[in-house]
Amino acid sequence: MAMTDLDIPPVRPSRAVQRPGAIQRLMSDYGQEIVVLLAIVALFAFVTMINPRFISANNLTTIFAGNAYIAVAAIGMSMVIITGNIDVSVGALIGVLATISGTLAVAGYPVWVAWFAPVLIGMAINGLIGVLVAYARIPSIVVTLGALSILRGGLISATGGTWISDLPPAFMVAQKKLFGLPVPLVAMVVLTLLAAAWMRYSAFGRSLYALGGNPEAAVATGIPAERRIVAVFIIHGFFAGLATILFATQLQVIQSTVPPNLELTIITAAVIGGVSILGGSGTVIGSTLAAILFATIGSALIFTNVSAYWLRAVIGLLILATVLADMFRRSRRI
Amino acid sequence: MGKVLLSAILALSFSTSLSQAQSAWTGGDDLPTNPLACDATAPTPTAKPYDGGVPTNAPDRKGKTITVVDVPKLVGIGYFNATSKGIADAAKEMGTMNAKTDGPSKANIDDQITLIDNYITSGVDGILFAANDPVAIAPVLKKALAAGINVVGYDANSTPDARQWFVNQAEFNGIAKSMVDAMAAEVGEEGSFAIVTSTFTTPNQARWISEMAAYQAKCHPKMKWLETVEAQEDNILSFNQANTLINKYGDELKGIFGMTSVATPAAADAVTQANKCGSVAVVGLATPNAMKPYVSSGCVKSVVLWNPVDLGYAAAYVMRAVADGDLKGGATSVKAGKLGELSVINGSEILLGAPFVFTKDNINDFDF
Amino acid sequence: MNLKSLFRHEMLLAILLAIVLVILSFQSDKFFTVSNLLNQGRLMTETGLIAIAMTFIIATGGIDLSVGSILGLTAILTGVFWQNVGLPLPLAAAAAIAVGTFAGFVNGIIITRFRVPPLIATLATLALYRGLAEGISQARSVRGYPEWFYVLGQGNVLGVPTQLWLLLIAAVVASIILGYTRWGRTVYAIGNNEVAARFSGLSVERTKVALYTASGFAAAVAAVIFVSRVSTTRSDMGTGIELDAITAVVLGGTSIFGGRGTIAGTIIGLCLIQALKNGLSLAGVKGDGTIMLIGAVLILAILVSNLFERSGTR
Repeated sequence: MAMTDLDIPPVRPSRAVQRPGAIQRLMSDYGQEIVVLLAIVALFAFVTMINPRFISANNLTTIFAGNAYIAVAAIGMSMVIITGNIDVSVGALIGVLATISGTLAVAGYPVWVAWFAPVLIGMAINGLIGVLVAYARIPSIVVTLGALSILRGGLISATGGTWISDLPPAFMVAQKKLFGLPVPLVAMVVLTLLAAAWMRYSAFGRSLYALGGNPEAAVATGIPAERRIVAVFIIHGFFAGLATILFATQLQVIQSTVPPNLELTIITAAVIGGVSILGGSGTVIGSTLAAILFATIGSALIFTNVSAYWLRAVIGLLILATVLADMFRRSRRI
Repeated sequence: MGKVLLSAILALSFSTSLSQAQSAWTGGDDLPTNPLACDATAPTPTAKPYDGGVPTNAPDRKGKTITVVDVPKLVGIGYFNATSKGIADAAKEMGTMNAKTDGPSKANIDDQITLIDNYITSGVDGILFAANDPVAIAPVLKKALAAGINVVGYDANSTPDARQWFVNQAEFNGIAKSMVDAMAAEVGEEGSFAIVTSTFTTPNQARWISEMAAYQAKCHPKMKWLETVEAQEDNILSFNQANTLINKYGDELKGIFGMTSVATPAAADAVTQANKCGSVAVVGLATPNAMKPYVSSGCVKSVVLWNPVDLGYAAAYVMRAVADGDLKGGATSVKAGKLGELSVINGSEILLGAPFVFTKDNINDFDF
Repeated sequence: MNLKSLFRHEMLLAILLAIVLVILSFQSDKFFTVSNLLNQGRLMTETGLIAIAMTFIIATGGIDLSVGSILGLTAILTGVFWQNVGLPLPLAAAAAIAVGTFAGFVNGIIITRFRVPPLIATLATLALYRGLAEGISQARSVRGYPEWFYVLGQGNVLGVPTQLWLLLIAAVVASIILGYTRWGRTVYAIGNNEVAARFSGLSVERTKVALYTASGFAAAVAAVIFVSRVSTTRSDMGTGIELDAITAVVLGGTSIFGGRGTIAGTIIGLCLIQALKNGLSLAGVKGDGTIMLIGAVLILAILVSNLFERSGTR
């Protein structure tokens, strides 16, 4: 691309005619979510034409339930990002929590202990991170980069990498069904909707947007910034714990290592879903849709016989296209 | 914007055109293959002169207690836990070896090189390694040889001149034969199958896939390879990929090969949860502990692997023999404790044995 | 901002580095030797080059996560241009570096022209460039380079590892640019207040594009050095190096929010991490223990520096 002229003013003149109304409002509130949703629908239509098995019940289950743990973790990540922070340690955290959960289950503790321990420990660890960010004023990327090293190193020295098998069948909640639907799918939908409603309608939720959008103004209106940041990290730990349960109970063995690049996938899901990395905007519906989009892309590439060697290039291209489409949409709206 | 989209479309069409040009059996390397005979006749070993390296001015270590560091591809996975245990067992048995395992936390060439470099500086007597990349690791191993350190590889080789000996768990073509024969026995001579591997850049996996392709073409020509998918070393991704394969091919898919100890149990779980046990076979490389649930339920009939504890054990004994000066170029066998005499192949490799096939009957005898 | 506050963190860090060096030399007599220290310099060059360029970017309040992928892409292209296309090796390396630099330029364009936040833009190109590396390589490695090529990554010039000279030159040039030129002041101005910088007539967009291009160039040069050091190419080269570089930069006192940071700090941060990795390993600490300690040092260093700063300014 021959774009040598760099002195173009960054703010583009408006080209779109403003049409006030329900659709307009929907577009401005959920623009990126709609872009991601359209991408999913388009992919579904395209791949189904090539191979109708793409929309078989089994494949829909694979797509919607397979990345549920990423979607659930991305809910908390979105909230963290909305307040203008970030967490690069969440992948390592999930690895640690899964190992704790599996160890408890095998040691003969009741399964509910094995389920809730990761949630509580996740909240505690992230609470500590939140304190360091909010009160010690260390940038969140620094704290979580440090936490990433500590958790990853700690996991290896604690377990030596022994896999956990012989898990009790009752522990395997992610393999069960609820109302005929897989539990991960139900959990993902319910948690996303609850979190979205809470973010939009509760005073607490709205204060997070204020904190991310304009911290000084938010503090001036009486929002206790430090406590909110700590709270957000604890909530993020809560969702990471829930994601861990889905992650750890999917298979009959737990690999006690940190899944490669998990934090990057979760962060990408959050930002592609429309959570502005600069804070102050976005919804958790978008991040869940983005997690589904990733699963759809992964499945679609196998179904369309795209050379496996080019798979990641295509994923990268699609991510870039989604981001650019969002920016294009915004620049038209101004 | 238009230009970006245009280039995007161009890149996409570029990629699809390439995918069309793709030969079958994605995921193999381009090295020459050497498929075994279809029946059980053992290949006649071709004598090859010693092609390993020699340490410079190594001190006389005969009978002395030596300090050895074991640097696997990565720490924190069951497989290398088992090799590390084997090394520790052998060291304890011999009483003249201080061995410790220290590896990168990710299978990363750079971290592994840095670690080995540090151990050269700290002055160990011997280095055991499993290479993440055969060529990338060579300069640092040559540096170790130049410093008079004994260097022995296991599991994943380096270029021969960068180490003295390599303990080969099972020859690539032997693994390939076991895998493809096991699959053919389960899905029949005309069955279709797919492969779940870690990444296409993992040398051992790429080698096995190439040898499997060659052996299948030679001995089971009517079997049909569908495709190979990557799943990193990630068990949930392996599970999703295996599920997608099942969904995509429906009844056409008769079997899945798992190429790593991560992919195989995940593929078995996918088949189990899809209620496809019996109609989709899973054959793969895996450690027995991870496979016990699926083998005892009858969903998986054969798991191919060598015993990694024995592999580490043999590597430690080879290291001892090399340090003592008992194992030199031209030797035809080496004594490895309880494993007895192991034979030398390919000039500077020591063969652990034929690959082992775990089945329902014997899997519970193993704990690693 | 005055010079004093700028150097407070770097001073603390330099003292910490000195303490660490002393402790580690007592732990192992192999640590504080000329050959070991020079060798560590060799091992940290790739991260160092990337971290120097990253310092500028983070000082503007941006970030570049795609550097590891640019490294991988450039490495693969060096091999492909040389072996498959048949260019002479110096030309192949130059062409690959040109592509890597262009990849950085594309980042800059996406960030400035399409106004995509740097983190998102480079997150997307992280996946894209790595994917291109994988697709172009078809998982094949290119090996067997001529002997002279290894001088860059494995040889010495005047007794010092070749690539360490490059790192030194890059550090000096970058320090001068960031500390003493109008251009460097523009970087800080953007980091402090981008809108104000734009209104005061600074060429914000042009500077940013130049910085991301430079970051691509640094990663590309690091790639060629890396290929020469390990004598092969792989599409997964440089995975995760972005986090190592960012760790060095923020440990070196560059504010992730922009507006503050020095090359000296980054270099000290880099040396501190490398000294810990190497020294602890020599002292018999395993790799997992070392990465835990580095994580803790990162958090504590910034924490202590924050405490000092607050007690000093308030």
